[in-house]
Amino acid sequence: MKYEEAMKRLEETVTLIEENRLDIDQIGEKVREAKELIKFCRDRLYETDEEIRKILGSDE
Amino acid sequence: METLTLSELNGRVRSTLQYTMPDTYWVQAEISSLSPSGSGHCYLELVQKDETGRKFLAKAKANIWKGIWMNLRPKFERATGERLAVGMKVLLAVKVSFHEEYGYSLVVSDIDPTYTMGDMARRRREIIERLKADGVIDQNRGLPLPVPMQRIAVVSSATAAGYGDFMNQLDSNIYGFRFRCRLFPAMMQGNDVESSVISALNTIAAQRDSWDVVVIIRGGGAVSELSCFDSYDLASNIANFPLPVITGIGHDRDDTVADTVAFMKVKTPTAAAEYIISKMYDTAMELENLARRLGTSVQERMNAQKQRITLLSQKLPSLFAVLKVRQEQVLERAGTRVGNAVANLMTARLHRLELLEKGIAAADPATVLKRGYSMTLCNGHALKSASDLKPGDRLVTVLADGKVESEII
Repeated sequence: MKYEEAMKRLEETVTLIEENRLDIDQIGEKVREAKELIKFCRDRLYETDEEIRKILGSDE
Repeated sequence: METLTLSELNGRVRSTLQYTMPDTYWVQAEISSLSPSGSGHCYLELVQKDETGRKFLAKAKANIWKGIWMNLRPKFERATGERLAVGMKVLLAVKVSFHEEYGYSLVVSDIDPTYTMGDMARRRREIIERLKADGVIDQNRGLPLPVPMQRIAVVSSATAAGYGDFMNQLDSNIYGFRFRCRLFPAMMQGNDVESSVISALNTIAAQRDSWDVVVIIRGGGAVSELSCFDSYDLASNIANFPLPVITGIGHDRDDTVADTVAFMKVKTPTAAAEYIISKMYDTAMELENLARRLGTSVQERMNAQKQRITLLSQKLPSLFAVLKVRQEQVLERAGTRVGNAVANLMTARLHRLELLEKGIAAADPATVLKRGYSMTLCNGHALKSASDLKPGDRLVTVLADGKVESEII
């Protein structure tokens, strides 16, 4: 999945919840999905600890 | 007719020129070749072309002797940011000279850099006008901002001063952003800048899906040689490039044409890295903002639900209480009605009883006796007819307060 696509889906989900357009029954699933999207996006933006260790290791 | 040796003839030409043209002249020309010699002198070929630029109208050699060149060169480079180069238009202070052996040449005593700068500016304007006519001048600037901006194709020289600065700046970003960079090497100084940068751009274009953005970077120097970035071909390549191009070619002067058409122009490679980091920061903030909105909206929604439940559960006892009161009222009213009905019934019964009692009381013989009546018994039976009597019968007369016995005679 592309980052921008993930952001678009996330934005849609948040708007749905903010505008009260989801049933309580649907919210749980949507929130789980949104959390996965947030994790996906964060993983894309930031170095993982492992990568940082690798970079620091290569300097030594 | 006089007969002369060649040196005598050339000598006369020389003295005639010295005599008739002793002054110093400012002459406008284009440099067609240039060879600084090991001895420290600078030898030039000057030309004048016609309007089409293809045909030569005039040619001359020009020499800048070592002593003059030592002063003119830094003066010119400081003012223009350029080295004297082929194709450059120059305004030179010259004296006409003729040497018996080497022939006609000009001896340069000064150079006016503002003329060259004016010409460079005019050329920049011409290239910009041409790119406008092509309809591509805003094309790269009009590309959408890549989100996230983290796969970076770097066009620079591995030895260029700015390249290291750029990489350090990116790698040490305090947010821990992930960047992927690859160097596409190009000459950043000298005559091959234009062709080698275009060649690097072509390589990147062939793998455009692997990159978000291109940066063209180079550290600044005393002589920035910006004119290679004032090239139509290079600028046209950048303008038409399918990915955003960021230029950071180290200068404070007016923009080059490459800067003008680029997606983003910054002054230094470090500034290019800062720009990219700031765009990544914006992207990260947008994400965190959404994450926060998600948290808040879910929280609000859950709170609203909890409140509804609380409200309902609080309402229940009071609803029951109302119901209870109402039921109690119904019951009470029913009770009252039953009570009244019973009471009425009892009163009616009592009344009848009273009547009966009165009737009974009236029928009681004692009551009649009290009123002065009496009852006569004969042989224990009440005497109802006189004709039943015969002499000798014994009668008992019952009065209210006693009995009287008598005998028929």
